[in-house]
Amino acid sequence: MKDFRIEQETKGNIQIVRLTGSLDMYSFPRLETQLNTHLQQGHYAILLDCKDLDYIGSAGLGALIGFAKQAREKGGDVKLLNVPERIYKIIELLGFTKVLQVHTDESAALASFTAH
Amino acid sequence: MELPKGISVCCLTGELHVRVCGRGTFQNGQPLRRFALEMIEKGATQCIVDLAGCEGMDSTFLGVLAGIGLRLNQNNGHNRMRVTNVSHRHLELLQTLGLDRLFSITPAGTTPAYVAPANANFQRLPDSDISQLNKPLNKNDTADLMLEAHDNLIEADSRNLAKFKDLTQYLRDRATKHDPSKTS
Repeated sequence: MKDFRIEQETKGNIQIVRLTGSLDMYSFPRLETQLNTHLQQGHYAILLDCKDLDYIGSAGLGALIGFAKQAREKGGDVKLLNVPERIYKIIELLGFTKVLQVHTDESAALASFTAH
Repeated sequence: MELPKGISVCCLTGELHVRVCGRGTFQNGQPLRRFALEMIEKGATQCIVDLAGCEGMDSTFLGVLAGIGLRLNQNNGHNRMRVTNVSHRHLELLQTLGLDRLFSITPAGTTPAYVAPANANFQRLPDSDISQLNKPLNKNDTADLMLEAHDNLIEADSRNLAKFKDLTQYLRDRATKHDPSKTS
């Protein structure tokens, strides 16, 4: 199992957060802190790149809904990019794809923040 | 001896013994929930969960354990749920969710007071090894399990409400849309 890592990148006014490893109850507080910091700093457009994510737990998914809701209230959103098939199945199983946008292409994902 | 991955169980005169090997998640919480409730119905008064082989637990699985603990305490008094071989990492998680007050915890490296006899016949619950799941989970059953589990965590410690309110609200809305009779 890979260690959980968070890497940051900014493109325009969009924060790209690249995740590696397992996003579970043990590691989620680190992402939570990062997302809270972004929202407090007025960064409401956040793209989570999940390409190297091995696992996501139920609490993590639930919390992402809350962050997306907060970001949308300020005109932004929290969206997912490059979700591995195994994780996508979990997200889809519970209908989270209806409340969290999932993209497979980074350029399209970035463009979607300014499209609405 | 290496334990088989998944959840193995054994019921001995009122004691339900559970061994978690690998990950405990929303994908294998349901078989444990069903088995434990059936055993409680048949007279089990305490549950001993051995986490020696546990690699990690998600909040749904912990909520299933909390539900078993709440049910046992309701029937039989306090601390009927005993969790043994708890690593430092798992202990932090249990403390974060306030489950250290619901469960009686024996840290790893300490001899637990309740141990299954060496010849106890543990059986692995079907569909409990998440690396070998070969049939898709039922959407509504999984969502219902997840909702019930997180409600259990909130009942066990009201501080969990802030952590899980978005998830439980989403799952409750989803359940209501699917079955309008399920209103909160």
